Amino acid sequence: MRNYQSILILKPDLDEAQVDQSVEKITAIINKFGGSVLKLDKWGKKRLAYRVRKNKFGYYLNVYHTCEPREVPKLEKEYQLYELIIKYLVIRLEESDIERVMSQEPVESVIKDDEGDEGNNSSESSDDDE
Amino acid sequence: MKNQRKKRTLFTQKICRFCSEKIQHIDFFDTKLLKPLISERGKIVPSRISGNCARHQRQMTEAIKRARNIALLPFSVEH
Ligand SMILES: [Zn+2]
Repeated sequence: MRNYQSILILKPDLDEAQVDQSVEKITAIINKFGGSVLKLDKWGKKRLAYRVRKNKFGYYLNVYHTCEPREVPKLEKEYQLYELIIKYLVIRLEESDIERVMSQEPVESVIKDDEGDEGNNSSESSDDDE
Repeated sequence: MKNQRKKRTLFTQKICRFCSEKIQHIDFFDTKLLKPLISERGKIVPSRISGNCARHQRQMTEAIKRARNIALLPFSVEH
């Protein structure tokens, strides 16, 4: 068993209940392959640096978890199949990384640095209309 | 010879921000820390300009590449 960090970008337009639902789903996916969630931070809705499946925003989740190394491809496959996830990144962590992570507060700058001033997206998002 | 050395020290005199702030670990999702290290076009600022030491430049480059992968930082700026 090793430690991993999964960063998941969910669709931007989810309500509170849908976010909780996807957190449950992601926890279930991790458990399915014998892993467990160590820590989960909701970074919230952030402006993406580039468009991801036509989305300019995304809801970020940061999950620290364990996983059997050989199961990681299957875990990623499940992330891919989950329709609320638009992008993901799985990173293997060293023991020292996880110790540091568990003892520190979530990095605030990533949460505060949202730049997604809701005010100015009204003009930009007009081309996203379906 | 003497001249050459003098010229080189002009660049190496810059101090590494990470060393001076005693930053142990660069989190790739700490965009506030990484943003000043990419140019307006989204390119990584070379250490000869930023003044970062080789070790921190390497860590920072890795961090920026990861951040780009998860859309926290741009690959290149859209027009
Ligand atoms: Zn340094």
